[in-house]
Amino acid sequence: MPEAPFGVLAVYPTAQALLDAIPGIKARGFSNLEAYTPFPVHGLEEALGLKKSRLGTLVFIMAALGAVSAFLFEWWTSVVDYPLVIGGKPLNSWQAFVPVMFEVTVLFATFTAGLAMLFLFNKLPFFGSPILGSKAIRRTTKDRFGLLIMPVEGVLDVEAASAALLETGGSEVEVLAAPDSTPPGLGWWFKTLSGITAACVVTGFGTAWAIKIYPTIPPMVHMEVQPRLDAQKADSFFADGHGMQLPPVGTVARGYMPLLAKSPEEAGKELINPLPVTPAVLQKGRDLFNYHCAVCHDRLGTGKPWLTSAYTAKPANLQASTYRKVPDGYIYYVISEGKGAMPSYAADLSANDRWAIVDYVRALQRSQHAKPEDVQ
Amino acid sequence: MSSGSGTTIRSLLLLSAVGFVGAAATYFVEGPARFWANWLVWMVFGIAVGLGCLFIVALEHQVQSVWSVPLRRVPERLSSLALWVTPLVLAALLCLPVLYPWARPEGASVPAIVLKSAWLNTPFFIIRTVACVALWFVAYRLVVKRSFEQDRSRDPMITVCLRRHAPLVLAIFALTLTTVAFDWISSLEPVWYSDIFGVYLFAGTFLSGLAATTLGTLYLYNRGRLPGVTEDHLYNLGGFLFAFTVFWGYIAFAQYMLMWYGDMPEEVFWFKQRTTGGWLALALILGIGHFFVPFLALVSRKAKISPKRLRWVSLWILAFMLVDLYWLIFPAVGAKVRLGWPELSFALLFLPLGLLAARAAMAKGEDTPVGDPFLQEGLEFRL
Ligand code: HEC
Repeated sequence: MPEAPFGVLAVYPTAQALLDAIPGIKARGFSNLEAYTPFPVHGLEEALGLKKSRLGTLVFIMAALGAVSAFLFEWWTSVVDYPLVIGGKPLNSWQAFVPVMFEVTVLFATFTAGLAMLFLFNKLPFFGSPILGSKAIRRTTKDRFGLLIMPVEGVLDVEAASAALLETGGSEVEVLAAPDSTPPGLGWWFKTLSGITAACVVTGFGTAWAIKIYPTIPPMVHMEVQPRLDAQKADSFFADGHGMQLPPVGTVARGYMPLLAKSPEEAGKELINPLPVTPAVLQKGRDLFNYHCAVCHDRLGTGKPWLTSAYTAKPANLQASTYRKVPDGYIYYVISEGKGAMPSYAADLSANDRWAIVDYVRALQRSQHAKPEDVQ
Repeated sequence: MSSGSGTTIRSLLLLSAVGFVGAAATYFVEGPARFWANWLVWMVFGIAVGLGCLFIVALEHQVQSVWSVPLRRVPERLSSLALWVTPLVLAALLCLPVLYPWARPEGASVPAIVLKSAWLNTPFFIIRTVACVALWFVAYRLVVKRSFEQDRSRDPMITVCLRRHAPLVLAIFALTLTTVAFDWISSLEPVWYSDIFGVYLFAGTFLSGLAATTLGTLYLYNRGRLPGVTEDHLYNLGGFLFAFTVFWGYIAFAQYMLMWYGDMPEEVFWFKQRTTGGWLALALILGIGHFFVPFLALVSRKAKISPKRLRWVSLWILAFMLVDLYWLIFPAVGAKVRLGWPELSFALLFLPLGLLAARAAMAKGEDTPVGDPFLQEGLEFRL
């Protein structure tokens, strides 16, 4: 038995003529029909008896899947795999997950709609439908309305189909041969893949070349783009070609007090706390201590870090008697120079800030080891 | 009118009278705070339905939409509800010292309230309220009234004129609705503030207007009084309900998430109050009922053209607008969720009255704007 053709196609002059023709053709026993029109025609779906597209359901399922998988992924990253407390929120904060869930839902939905439409329903790898090679295609994208009768279970009586089309007012009947369904050979794959590779190479080199040749044109000029000297950069402004210059010999920055002591003990002997203990100083000391020190030393200075177990260093317990006995200068030195795993705070805190913290540490120590006189 | 409808009216009035007794008893038994809180819920609900319909009419003229012309009479008629509630609004001015901390002497001792006293003070509040009420009458005149005249005169220039007024009415709508949101609801807790709150009430208002319009349309459609109106028109209404359900969810969540994230005490206390204890259950019910249920009920194409589905979803949305208002207003007057005979009485008082007002409104003019030159084109609308 010869292979059945793709179908028999005819064109009708108006949308109404097409709609009127369909029942007659169905009555003649042809049920596998497809129409080609230049614009959507009302009632065509019903006339052709097309089934409701399953695309909507598919999109809905995938969208729901998107929401669930986004939630699970966020939950897993932020609760199981890499728990980080952010802004004091609980690890499993669904509120913060919702925007991402929303985006992923939309992403899944649109991708499913686009790809399923192309691959599942339009059978994408099947390039060139025979309809594209027909004579009628030019007119059906413009001002004619095409109707195609396709085989049912691989059988189509071409004579009868043509007659049916002509009798219902169709014209320009043509028989479209079935597309070549043999799988593509080695030569086809070779040609396709080398074509794609060549395109990649050409665009890649082309882009690289274009970027080299044409200066990038900034959409707007920011204030940072202006003649100026940069630290750590060469510049022809000065004779020695450096952007950064050494200060004249003997210059001292305003307010800068070099720390001459070489060890905390030495500092403890030499330095005198210049700040009086006033409520204002203690208040400032408390704020600074809570900002800078409390993460490691705890608010009370007990040395219990708030950091996760990943932080293995052991901050000192400032309430221990050793630290209650050391002089102010000792603590001042540790803040300035750091110790072991504790960094230096010289760059963040001015001398007065550091002394204020020392005063506050003293107050903390006293608060936890109050003597009867303190209460009076 | 048949005698059957006469008895309906009488029984509705009777129900309302029972409700009135209950509401009055609330005032004396449960105290004025609970009375006025209930009053506010129903007052804002009435404003939402009425102004929502007015907004739909103005929107149609503004964007010169044609598909909606055959349905326009429904929102035109129902927008008169916004005028019917104005006595409730004016009477509610009595409740200022009862419900609003800024109107009480102790408000003067809270710095955050003192800061806002240029806006939140009794004389200015009264001026604003009266101005809003007056503007609603103006808006109604500008964009609805002459449409009824057109039934007789068939003067196409009236359509031109209504379209020209639409931008002004939209501006009035935006201003007055935001004022209602800030003044009547958000200032119950004057320390709290949310810039998006006006938009939040707008989302509920537009939804209520749409739901009422859909119900009115179905009422006429099912009785064959809208010849030429097809499923395609219903589909658009369904689409609008669906879209603005999502909009409401988006706005509600956006407001909540930003405040939850920022965690500023003067903002977050408001949500904290509404998400603890019984209020949390109510908040969850609200999220599910106001967003997820209508969303799922309307997501499919078939649902948007099914009169049955559209009807229950519209009723559902209106019911959840009430739940929403309850959740917004009641935590300000009591720490616990209280639903009892006072709330039932108020429902009995206002629901029948609202139905009667809607019924009277639905009798006005022709069922479609027969004088509108775009009517035929609107009837021919297909998706
Ligand atoms: C990153 C965590 C961290 C921070 C922040 C931190 N410290 Fe420390 N601190 C440590 C650790 C760890 C030690 C123990 C160092 C050692 O003995 O090697 C320590 C030790 C100390 C000691 C005792 C030093 C000694 O000689 O034994 C003092 C005093 C001290 N810190 C004060 C402070 C003050 C004041 C601040 C705030 C300006 C501060 N620390 C901030 C981690 C920290």
